[in-house]
Amino acid sequence: MRASRAILVAVTAAAAGVTATSVVKKRRASAQDHDGRPHVITVFRPYDELKAEQVPGSLAELGDTVEVSLRPAPADRGTEISVRPRDGSPVGAGDIRRALRETRSLLEAGDVLLPSGPPTTKTTLLNRPLQAATEHGREGGLL
Amino acid sequence: MKALQWQGINKLKVGEVPEPELRNPGDIIVKVTRSVTCGSDLHLLGGYIPFMQKGDVIGHEFLGEVVQAGALVKNHRVGDRVVVSSFIGCGSCWYCSKELYSLCDNSNTNPALTETLWGQAPGGCFGYSHAMGGNQGSHAEYIRVPFADVGAFTVPQGVSDERALFASDSASTGWMGAELGGVQPGDVVAVWGAGAVGQMAARAAMLLGAERVVVIDRYDYRLDQTAKFIGAETLNYEEVNTEQELRERTGGRGPDVCIEAVGMEAHSAGPQFPYDQLKQQLRLQTDRSPAVREAIHVARKGGSVFVLGVYAGIVDKFPLGAMMNKGLTVRGAQMHGPRYIPMLLDRMAKGELVTEHLATHVMPLDEGPEAYRIFKEKEDNCVRAVLVP
Ligand SMILES: NC(=O)c1ccc[n+]([C@@H]2O[C@H](COP(=O)([O-])OP(=O)(O)OC[C@H]3O[C@@H](n4cnc5c(N)ncnc54)[C@H](O)[C@@H]3O)[C@@H](O)[C@H]2O)c1
Ligand SMILES: [Zn+2]
Ligand SMILES: [Zn+2]
Repeated sequence: MRASRAILVAVTAAAAGVTATSVVKKRRASAQDHDGRPHVITVFRPYDELKAEQVPGSLAELGDTVEVSLRPAPADRGTEISVRPRDGSPVGAGDIRRALRETRSLLEAGDVLLPSGPPTTKTTLLNRPLQAATEHGREGGLL
Repeated sequence: MKALQWQGINKLKVGEVPEPELRNPGDIIVKVTRSVTCGSDLHLLGGYIPFMQKGDVIGHEFLGEVVQAGALVKNHRVGDRVVVSSFIGCGSCWYCSKELYSLCDNSNTNPALTETLWGQAPGGCFGYSHAMGGNQGSHAEYIRVPFADVGAFTVPQGVSDERALFASDSASTGWMGAELGGVQPGDVVAVWGAGAVGQMAARAAMLLGAERVVVIDRYDYRLDQTAKFIGAETLNYEEVNTEQELRERTGGRGPDVCIEAVGMEAHSAGPQFPYDQLKQQLRLQTDRSPAVREAIHVARKGGSVFVLGVYAGIVDKFPLGAMMNKGLTVRGAQMHGPRYIPMLLDRMAKGELVTEHLATHVMPLDEGPEAYRIFKEKEDNCVRAVLVP
């Protein structure tokens, strides 16, 4: 219900050409009200392997502020990693999303892709919302 | 270095930008020797994909020479001549393991935008907006290629630059439409659009054993090329009624497989065109899709429609009833390059797949803006302009 409303807002916003702005706003809003729901991602690595390993990278850096649990994904899809902020946790939803995506990439591809660079763009009034969104590209979305 | 930069809607300029650097140990830097104008770029130029920044370098279909390789690159060495998949795959996520490379989980550094828009984020692409990762494009002297062991392929000696170039995007896209559209030996296949993508889809359908392949467009020069170099039948939709004609040519059944290679700026005969165009301009729909509508309406019962043309958001008047009641399979995808490129290079070497004719205009990178103008306006019988940095 919440997700589908978010998509509708995004689609309408895209139609109006202001999606980047709304994505940024949504990200900020959700960083505060993470309502205790878990953020879940599937990593294409066998459960037996991962449960024996420490989760690496930025997910490990979140430490005790979050609760991490692993469960096997159906078929050959790997392991579902679920992260829920503990009560009073200072960690925002955006940090958790980024940590999950970076961790998946580390576990699967052995690396986290950096954007190409140096940049070829200039900051203009029109660019600003989109630049702000892409500076935090792994923090937003629906995860 | 010199690069062709997006400056705003319908504005391009050749400017000076910093040379790209290796960012990850799986990267290579390629000195671009040829880079192509693709129909997809027209959607960026026209402002239909609102995730561009002033100064972005566009271009995603290219070939070149490796000049630098990251520490973890195994398959490539400095000096290799490589053709590169326009979409980027990591090679190790679940999607890449299923050869659905454009759906890669790890190759888009900005998944938030498309995940919010579409529910899930596809992978990254070169020069195709910040929604697709904001990767610098290939209309430049150099380009950084991430996950190079997955997406870059050494061109065999017997295949010329001119031919191999199109394995990067048009030929792999076309092959995907025919393969994932489910073309079987003996099928009748209809292809909407006689641009490079449509022509390559038609050729793929023939090589997969289709008995008849009909390509639809309104530009006779493109249809003539299709007949001459691809060997497919053609149909000009401004001269005949496409549906009637396809019914006639298929004994009333309709095509087994319909491949749409047109995209969101489709043109159409009749009153639906001004209707769609107005709704798109008023932002009441983001895309126009007359060819998809037609394909769904004419496809045989239980047949399939594969959408290769790029769409960004929502369309109006989608014939859901025909799709449901006729039991159709409707599918689409961005190209899964690495799944096809080695096979395509092999077929190019054997002469089964020719592509050189697509490069109707070969121009220096400096003339990039003019190349796009000619390509967009379909002037001077342009099918693809190839830029040489
Ligand atoms: N799926 C992918 O990965 C992928 C890759 C490359 C290109 N594409 C897309 O494929 C589409 C075609 O690319 P291209 O480079 O060949 O473009 P192009 O612009 O060169 O060709 C498109 C052709 O479609 C024709 N056309 C327009 N309306 C039509 C209609 N109603 N019926 C039949 N034909 C019609 C045009 O006259 C034109 O010849 C574009 O949307 C492009 O974005 C997708
Ligand atoms: Zn393309
Ligand atoms: Zn992948």
